Amino acid sequence: MVLEVSGAVMSWTIDDQGAPRIDFTDPSRADWLWRVVGESGHVKVATATDTPPGPSQTIDLDGIDVAVDAVAVLRRLALGHWLRAWWPASVLDGIEPLDTALLDAEIAVLTATAQDFFGDDTLDSDVAELVSPHAATLSYHVRSGDPRVIELVRRCVELIDEIGVDHSVYEEDWFDLSELITDAAALDTPVAARQGDYALAAGNGAVGPTGAIATGVGSIAWGGVPAGIFDAAEATLEWSVRADADGGVVVATTVMPGADPSGIAVFVDAGSFTGSATLGPDGRTTVDLGDVNGVRVTDSGAWAHDWSGTSVTVGVPVDETPAIRDRVRSFARSRLTEPGPDAFLAEILAAEADY
Amino acid sequence: VLVDETASAYHHRMSIGFEVAAEVAVARPRRAVIDEAWRRIGPGVEVLSGGDGGPLRRTVKRILDPLVLRLRANPQYSAPILPIDMANEVHDVIVGHRDQLRATAQWFETLKKGRRRLRITTGNAQELYFPVCYELAVTRGAPAADAEAVADTALRDVHSDRDRTAGAVLDRYIAAPDTLSALARQLDRSWRDVRPGTTITGAFLSGLTTILAESGDHRARAARQRVWSALVADDTSFNLGARARQNPAEVPWSFVDIGLTSLEPQHCPDLIGKSVGDRPLDRAVVDRVRATLRRALDRDELPDIPLLCAEEVDRACAPWGLIAEDMQATLIAGVEVAVELSPLDETHSARYPLAAQIQARLRKEAYVLHARRCLAAGTPIHPRQQQVVDDLRVFRRPYLSRLWARLHGRDVWQESCADVEDVRALLDGVARSASLDQRQRIKAMLANADGPQMTGQAMSVAR
Repeated sequence: MVLEVSGAVMSWTIDDQGAPRIDFTDPSRADWLWRVVGESGHVKVATATDTPPGPSQTIDLDGIDVAVDAVAVLRRLALGHWLRAWWPASVLDGIEPLDTALLDAEIAVLTATAQDFFGDDTLDSDVAELVSPHAATLSYHVRSGDPRVIELVRRCVELIDEIGVDHSVYEEDWFDLSELITDAAALDTPVAARQGDYALAAGNGAVGPTGAIATGVGSIAWGGVPAGIFDAAEATLEWSVRADADGGVVVATTVMPGADPSGIAVFVDAGSFTGSATLGPDGRTTVDLGDVNGVRVTDSGAWAHDWSGTSVTVGVPVDETPAIRDRVRSFARSRLTEPGPDAFLAEILAAEADY
Repeated sequence: VLVDETASAYHHRMSIGFEVAAEVAVARPRRAVIDEAWRRIGPGVEVLSGGDGGPLRRTVKRILDPLVLRLRANPQYSAPILPIDMANEVHDVIVGHRDQLRATAQWFETLKKGRRRLRITTGNAQELYFPVCYELAVTRGAPAADAEAVADTALRDVHSDRDRTAGAVLDRYIAAPDTLSALARQLDRSWRDVRPGTTITGAFLSGLTTILAESGDHRARAARQRVWSALVADDTSFNLGARARQNPAEVPWSFVDIGLTSLEPQHCPDLIGKSVGDRPLDRAVVDRVRATLRRALDRDELPDIPLLCAEEVDRACAPWGLIAEDMQATLIAGVEVAVELSPLDETHSARYPLAAQIQARLRKEAYVLHARRCLAAGTPIHPRQQQVVDDLRVFRRPYLSRLWARLHGRDVWQESCADVEDVRALLDGVARSASLDQRQRIKAMLANADGPQMTGQAMSVAR
């Protein structure tokens, strides 16, 4: 997981509590470095990087130690951004999704705390952009009356008060939220508790009831598709070659409730036949196959074909093993089972909903 | 990217633990010096301080650097690492302003209350009000009985959209009879006046090799400065720019490919109205003036509009749309860098060391997008991003648009590009902001499918 601070990118391994690697993009802008490595460490790094011999040099900085405490908040921020992107929410695996509004709110508040590390020029500096769209959702959460949520939202409102909203369309929402949060009475009338359950949107199993020439299942590589669209479990896509589909392959994916997978590419590789298509809003599509000359596969050709090596790729083909995904799932489960001191409120609420 | 143990982009490794600084410092990080001086001020500046008691980042950026240390007048205070005597001076200057800074803090409290009273939510309060508060502190001392009224006036001033005021003056001027016809005559004459000479370009371009080399030692820098002064004095940059209008084949780059124009050869820009394309040198003269006015917000006095328009006509006719020779030469150096930049291409290697250095950083920055699941294998992870990712592939275009806008600003305000190290820093800084802009768009395309449309806006903001 990574964090872009002024003049550098810091990275940690997600399930390891060690010190970060610090990769400088522009050492002269890393004016926070003394907070992490001490003043003399900062001067040493500056001297070593003053006249770079080449763009990719490694500088041995023996004797400079990273103050882990100083970077704890940065690690937590990197974790927050990682959770936004990679949290393996899954109905099938029973891994609760994280609430985006609350997660973004907490990341925004944390970023403001760590503002010494962010110039205006890093990808992770812009908290107004991060949190501005969420006022309406946060109002909804505040009405649940959970004091932890109220405290977080209160800090977030104070922050927005200071930094301004990102876009004028959100202004009214923030006025309302600001008034809501200062009105203690309104908070005493909780509405229905957070929705803990949801239904499967696109089903598996609906793929090849009758007349299937061949069927199979496959997995979606997370790194090849946007976050929050597909169920993050394994074997969530089914394909079937149907006699009544002119040799086309019907592909069905398992979409998270409310998500829209339209336009995401699907590629089918069945040896001598290949084809591509894009998913519809229901996470399904039919892929027409052809041979190398673009000649469409016929019904009889489909019956004669050996489909056993068929692979289906959803999104961009990327190099990602099921083992890595499993490692992330067990990381997520352990965070839900026993939220640690670095847990985000969104995780804690997900853990409670799970229970 | 999911679990990035072997992230190839990482070179500097550090170990864990604490260090006790025992040695006597000969130099200190600038920000550490400022932090310590700030704490010495003691109570009364809490609203300008962070949770740890140090100054807020914006306190440094908007008050201490420009108004207390006055970096423009005292560039020696701006080095990231300060020699110890300079560090002591910086310390003393800050502590010496303790009264003004305490009053600034009080004014900020007052303005924040006013902001709430007037229900203002636009703009970053610290960013906008800090300089105003310091000014109030210097001119009025601490807030007195009339504080509330003073604050309201100051707030209305800040939020009154000075660009609209200046824009209105411009509108009135061009609506006046004869203004446009006079400017059109001038445009026609000036455009025809610019003709290329016959110099050969080889020497100039090989001179750029020195300009775009490694940063090097003191002697290398001195030699580089000499070469740069010679290149600026050379008329090659004028001639190359002028040829783009008549014989584009004699220019080493295609203006369309590098995104300076949308047509070849380059056409004389219109005076007003919707231009043929959205590239920098397509823009109508009046739009260029408008851009100048928008960027002039931080300046004390509004420029003289008729003079600005007349000058802009000549500038639009000048080669590269820039009058000063050092601006033209800088843009060419920028073109040479730009054609080497390719943030999404892992195997790409750049010819010039400076370009290679920028390219390496762009790669690392693009890697963050992968780590955040905003890109997959250098391609869009969502079809919505296609356009912005395509833009990133032709990075030279947003890069040069932005560089041109910066040079245009410098040309208008007659700021110089004579110092070669400053030019190199500019070429580097433009890459940083162009990259950030592109990456934010890639991210935004993913985040807010239903949010406000940011694309056009991001395109037009050329800082």
